[in-house]
Amino acid sequence: MTRLTRVLGGAFATLVGLFLIAPVAVTVASSLTATPYVTFPPQGITLRWYAEVFAKPEFLSSFALSAGVALAAAAVSAVVGLAGGLAIHRHRFPGRAALEATLSGAFAVPTIVLGIGLLQWFAQMGLASSPVTLLLAHLVLTVPYAVRLVLAGLAGLDRSAEKAAAGLGAPPFLVFWHVTLPAVRGGLVGGAFFAFITSFDDLTVALFVVTTDLQTLPVRIFNYMQYDYDPTVTAIGTLMVLFAVVAVVVIERFVGVARLFGADTEERS
Amino acid sequence: MAAVGRVAGGARVSRPRRRTGLLLALPAILIFVLLFLAPLGTLVANSFRTQTGAFTLGNYARFLGDPFYRDVLWNTLRVAALTTAGCLLIGYPFALYLRGRSARVRNWLALLLLSPLLISMVIRAYGWLVVLGPQGPVAAVIRWFGLTPPQMLYNDTAVLIGMVHVMLAYMVLPLMGSLDRIDPTLVPAAKGLGASGWTCFWRITLPLSAPGMLAGAMIVFSLTASSFVTPAILGGPKVKLMPYFVYTQATATLDWPYAAAIGFVLVVVTTGLLLGYSRLLRRGRGEVVFA
Amino acid sequence: MTATTPAGTQPRRGRLRLDGVRKVLGGKEVVSAVDLETEPGEFLTLLGPSGCGKTTTLNMIAGHLTADGGLIEVDGRDITAIPPHRRSMGMVFQSYALFPHMTVADNVAFGLRMRKAGAAERRRRVADVLETVGLDGMAGRHPRQLSGGQQQRAALARALVIQPDLLLLDEPFSNLDAQLRVRLRDEVAALQRRIGTTAILVTHDQEEALAVSDRIAVMAGGVIHQLGRPQEVYLRPATDFVAQFIGEVNALDGVATGGGSCEVAGQRVRATPVGDPPAEGARARVYVRPEVVRVGAGTDTEGEGLRGTVRQTRFLGSRIRCVVATSAGEVTAALPYDARVPREGEEVTCSWRPSDASLAARG
Repeated sequence: MTRLTRVLGGAFATLVGLFLIAPVAVTVASSLTATPYVTFPPQGITLRWYAEVFAKPEFLSSFALSAGVALAAAAVSAVVGLAGGLAIHRHRFPGRAALEATLSGAFAVPTIVLGIGLLQWFAQMGLASSPVTLLLAHLVLTVPYAVRLVLAGLAGLDRSAEKAAAGLGAPPFLVFWHVTLPAVRGGLVGGAFFAFITSFDDLTVALFVVTTDLQTLPVRIFNYMQYDYDPTVTAIGTLMVLFAVVAVVVIERFVGVARLFGADTEERS
Repeated sequence: MAAVGRVAGGARVSRPRRRTGLLLALPAILIFVLLFLAPLGTLVANSFRTQTGAFTLGNYARFLGDPFYRDVLWNTLRVAALTTAGCLLIGYPFALYLRGRSARVRNWLALLLLSPLLISMVIRAYGWLVVLGPQGPVAAVIRWFGLTPPQMLYNDTAVLIGMVHVMLAYMVLPLMGSLDRIDPTLVPAAKGLGASGWTCFWRITLPLSAPGMLAGAMIVFSLTASSFVTPAILGGPKVKLMPYFVYTQATATLDWPYAAAIGFVLVVVTTGLLLGYSRLLRRGRGEVVFA
Repeated sequence: MTATTPAGTQPRRGRLRLDGVRKVLGGKEVVSAVDLETEPGEFLTLLGPSGCGKTTTLNMIAGHLTADGGLIEVDGRDITAIPPHRRSMGMVFQSYALFPHMTVADNVAFGLRMRKAGAAERRRRVADVLETVGLDGMAGRHPRQLSGGQQQRAALARALVIQPDLLLLDEPFSNLDAQLRVRLRDEVAALQRRIGTTAILVTHDQEEALAVSDRIAVMAGGVIHQLGRPQEVYLRPATDFVAQFIGEVNALDGVATGGGSCEVAGQRVRATPVGDPPAEGARARVYVRPEVVRVGAGTDTEGEGLRGTVRQTRFLGSRIRCVVATSAGEVTAALPYDARVPREGEEVTCSWRPSDASLAARG
């Protein structure tokens, strides 16, 4: 009986595992197909579709745009998140409770609603779409994570350690540099990487903010998919999976992936 | 000495320190006021306007009065509920399976579970297009049996599969948390009292993991109801879901007030659910027991 | 009250003076007008229950809190308004507060680094102090790889290496198990006497305070109730609070009859007045520890002491507990195991040396 349940359990878990990796595995495999249409299992092996990706300047420029905006989002989120986390954790100031409430509220609002809200607000403000508006739009998605991770780091810091450093002769800036900052470093790195991935991956908000000559990579792929069914997309997909794997390895080293996703985080779709 | 715990935070709250706090928080405050509250405010305001700017309740009247859009709302809730059920059906046994494994196996399976969230949404959905498409592995297997593969894309089922795939992690993680908190001596104790394995599951494990199930279900439901990318790619225009209509009204029809109204209804549905859940949690002190 | 000076070399530095120091936290005065002066090299303990203001006082000495009134001086230099990093205080925290991301050596070297000491000097002094606290060989470890006792030693080394004016110890032993606590507190006390740095210990553990201190300041409600050598504070408590906080006590109410005499329920007893002796005829209270009470058979010839009947005797291992019902109430004596044990019901007289009991005015 127990043996049977164990075997059944193992088989079930394997099936779930297959289900989880199916779309990625199939994408990667079929990027090698020699056929001019996507098929699985792939027929023949070629790297032609990868060459195709690099031969298309619009994909490269979209990648550059996405990567640039994502890098900026990561940097700004880290800085804003650090400052905001410090303010919330150890200062009283007018609006502190409201800021905290907004931070958690931001998780609950559907991204599509944020997207259309930003579209209408930017239009009302007369802001033309540009990489900067895209960055601003992404910050709303990424800063809450950064603040939250910084707060988690600060919660784990013994305030006595800062007192100890001051007592040993460290002026406030050096206390911050040698004691406070190392405590939030993990959260900061995690928050920055998370911001990068969120921004790089975002389609929903970008769809509302972009114009035809300003397309992020997800938007470009999304539009390409509507008309073409050749394996170029699977090649891009494979490259992006590789990219994600690298990011995961780095995050895992610094913070641990599971910690990034609390049970109540949210898909940005 | 409680008083001393507040040393730097509380004791020295003089005016300059309050100013430091405000200064540090200012960038975050600006971002949320200018890029979160203002857009949402604009959205709500616009939803009560006609295309020309006059005040109206017409957008909401139109949404609730048109059987087509009532259908969209209904279908959104239905797909969200089905996704939730699917996640529970697959996720619960999976969480139970994970419970008995070593830390190493658990870590690897957790990473596998999270992997869909780490891979670009567009690519992930595209992968399902390939898997379920006419040239994909599923169709190949069906053909191998000598049958004609049915159309597996651009319908509710395709959306359901894609959504369960992404959402599974949101269900399993809280479930694992709940299962881990169950006192491991309870089941042997019940068995000692003569309960069968099955009875133990129904009377002990299942009720005690209810908080995790509820948390997972709420998150999955509200996230699915507000998802756009996966349904748009796998379902297309034929699968009528609210986020898709927010998008088309805003970008194709260019009826911003109406798009705003649909969006606002979506916010009410999803946040209402989350608020209700947190209220429920607070009342039950986190312990929700099956009646 | 004079402090005993430690044996060995006498440093000239480390004289701390608090004059009317006050602190208000959250609208409540948690420290009110504390006066205190240490001798260089002295081990002084602030003893009291939680919330008595002892840690707040220590934090003001360290500079983590700014006094709302009064004056704090070290070696005649006013440091009341000086920020912590420009004072020279080595502090050991209850949680040890080691920097989790640094090795033991880096933790200890931190203060030297802040003082811009050269690398060679840093290495030498770190090695020296680690040897002093018995942590040689642990330099490369991280705090989480150390046991509680080792972390405590590392924290002590970090505080000592900067050769501070004062060594401040904030409940440093309270996170250790009972055995280790006793061992480490004795080690720290011995080390402090060897180095000669003035030390201020904050604790709520009266046994610890009695064991390590040159003098003890007993605090409650933000004020110092009594400041004195351990024997003084123990045998001759000044107030009800001191008497009760540090162990068991017999408190006998009577009327002062001048000098160290007091009439209790018609019988004359003698004790040492704490501060000014209460005026003749004033209401007074005598504090006597059970350990100093002698129980004599029959009636004492000197006409001093309290007569009564033995109510109960109990063998408690190290002591024999004897309760005598007197006209002034019950008096408890803790007799040594080899003392003559009176029978229950026997008529006895309770007496003590006047220098072993205190006499204080009663409000």
